[in-house]
Amino acid sequence: MKISGIKYLANQGVENIWKNKMMAFATFCVLLISLLLVGCSALFYINMNSMILGLGDQNEIAVYVDTDTPQERVDEIGEQLRNLDNVSNVKYISKEEAYNRMQNQISQGKEIFNYIDDYQFMPDGFSVTVADNDQIRATVDAIKRIENIQKADSSPQVAEFLRELRRVVTLIAGAVIIALAAVSMIMISNTTKASVYARREEIQIMKYVGATNAFIRTPFFVEGLVTGFFSGAGAFFITWAVYRSVYNILMEQGMLINAFGAGSIIPFADIRVICGLVYLLVGALAGAFGSTVSTRRHLDV
Amino acid sequence: MVELQNVSVTYAGGVDALNNVSLKINDGDFAFVVGSSGAGKSTMIKLLLKEIDATSGVVTVNGYNLSKLKKRKIPEFRRTLGFVFQDFRLIPSMTVYENIAFVLRVLDAPLKYIRKRVPYVISLVGLHAKTNSYPDELSGGEKQRVAIARALVNDPQLIIADEPTGNIDPELSYEIVELLKGINDQGTTILMVTHEHDLVRHFGGRIINITGGEIVYDEVLTGTNAELLPEVELAQAMENAEVQQSDEYSMPAGDGSDYGNPYVDDVIAAITNTSNDNGGVE
Repeated sequence: MKISGIKYLANQGVENIWKNKMMAFATFCVLLISLLLVGCSALFYINMNSMILGLGDQNEIAVYVDTDTPQERVDEIGEQLRNLDNVSNVKYISKEEAYNRMQNQISQGKEIFNYIDDYQFMPDGFSVTVADNDQIRATVDAIKRIENIQKADSSPQVAEFLRELRRVVTLIAGAVIIALAAVSMIMISNTTKASVYARREEIQIMKYVGATNAFIRTPFFVEGLVTGFFSGAGAFFITWAVYRSVYNILMEQGMLINAFGAGSIIPFADIRVICGLVYLLVGALAGAFGSTVSTRRHLDV
Repeated sequence: MVELQNVSVTYAGGVDALNNVSLKINDGDFAFVVGSSGAGKSTMIKLLLKEIDATSGVVTVNGYNLSKLKKRKIPEFRRTLGFVFQDFRLIPSMTVYENIAFVLRVLDAPLKYIRKRVPYVISLVGLHAKTNSYPDELSGGEKQRVAIARALVNDPQLIIADEPTGNIDPELSYEIVELLKGINDQGTTILMVTHEHDLVRHFGGRIINITGGEIVYDEVLTGTNAELLPEVELAQAMENAEVQQSDEYSMPAGDGSDYGNPYVDDVIAAITNTSNDNGGVE
């Protein structure tokens, strides 16, 4: 086929959107809703996963040293902790740092700190990260055996809970996304079928004048591609607006960030490009193939 | 050229639509196909367009053996045809120009040729002023002229017209057939299915009557160019011939050129006798 022929078919596809604007609009809306349903579910899952992983990172062993331990001994304890099995990281938390953290974590009644201007009552401490969460209990016992250790806290059940939670969330989110994708495919298929059905006579006429199946399908392909592309763009901008609003609201809630790991929610800027590309690509492909496949049953003339 | 050799079509429900039909229409012929509803006319058209396949027999159109034609070759075959339907079958979202140009687009014709050829055929059917109109803005007669222009634009060897005057005013019917006759004079074979006997009488030519899936009448008559038989009388004459055929004669299985069948003579006699008063049919 000549270049002018390809250009003609592509133009026909774009013109058809305008000529059949009601059906094109219906297809656009269905694609937009489908993309939003699946896209938002996927983003929800990605963030849940990130939050759970974030909470998992907090599952460290908090080690408190006796209050009156001299600094040299505190440094030695730090070295002893680093030499223990299953310890991947040891972070020293000074009295002052612990005091500041406490101030930040208390959102109400901060006035009390006006009366406490000395942080010497706070113990020195360490934040110990373990390599294998399953052996965290043994590591805690080993830490407790070190001299001048006041307390070593860990919650192995939290680690297990988070692991289980992540598994369940993955399963549920996977099922929901698959179900929504299936529903979306049916919706897209039905809408494109209705759109093509309304023009079945047009297809028959084309067949009578000797048009090949490819010649008939190409404008439908282009029409679906363009409609799907705009649906993808629409879904992207809606997601962007909603995501940013939700993100900002959550970030304003300091307590929520600490309690539920909301601090691990991914900023939209980090996923903007990939999110936009996926929306545009999936939208365009779903529109193009939905439209093309729907012509098949009318081509047998 | 159109040739049907011992063609039968039986639909899935067991209905025999065509029964051992043989027929030959030569290049440059103008043939009317007449017959009542359910006689098998539409089946014949579908066969010729390769919309359906014959249950048995051989169908040859423009040199293509349709019984052996592969699916992927159907578009190529259809490009050698022009078609005109009762319901016009114009693409509603395209203008007159676009509807006609579309056929040449399918052929991947050069743009320069399309720009020259399309206005020419539009002027041939007298619709120059309606070039940019949409089908919805045209009258029935105008729509049919667009359909004829579309059938004509790729210079086909054969034009199949299925009841082209069925949806338009009687006075416009003559115009449409005149147009088809004019195209035929240029050498294009025309096969026109109609149930309007006065048109057939007026224009004459080869008349093929299909009844009950069989060709019961195939004869060349000279047109009168005048009002001849009242509709009822011609219909009665044809009907009588069909009754006689079923009672007394059986059609030979041939190529359709056997016009010596006695029942045909009866029909001609009936028409001639009745029409003598009106100017005579030869």
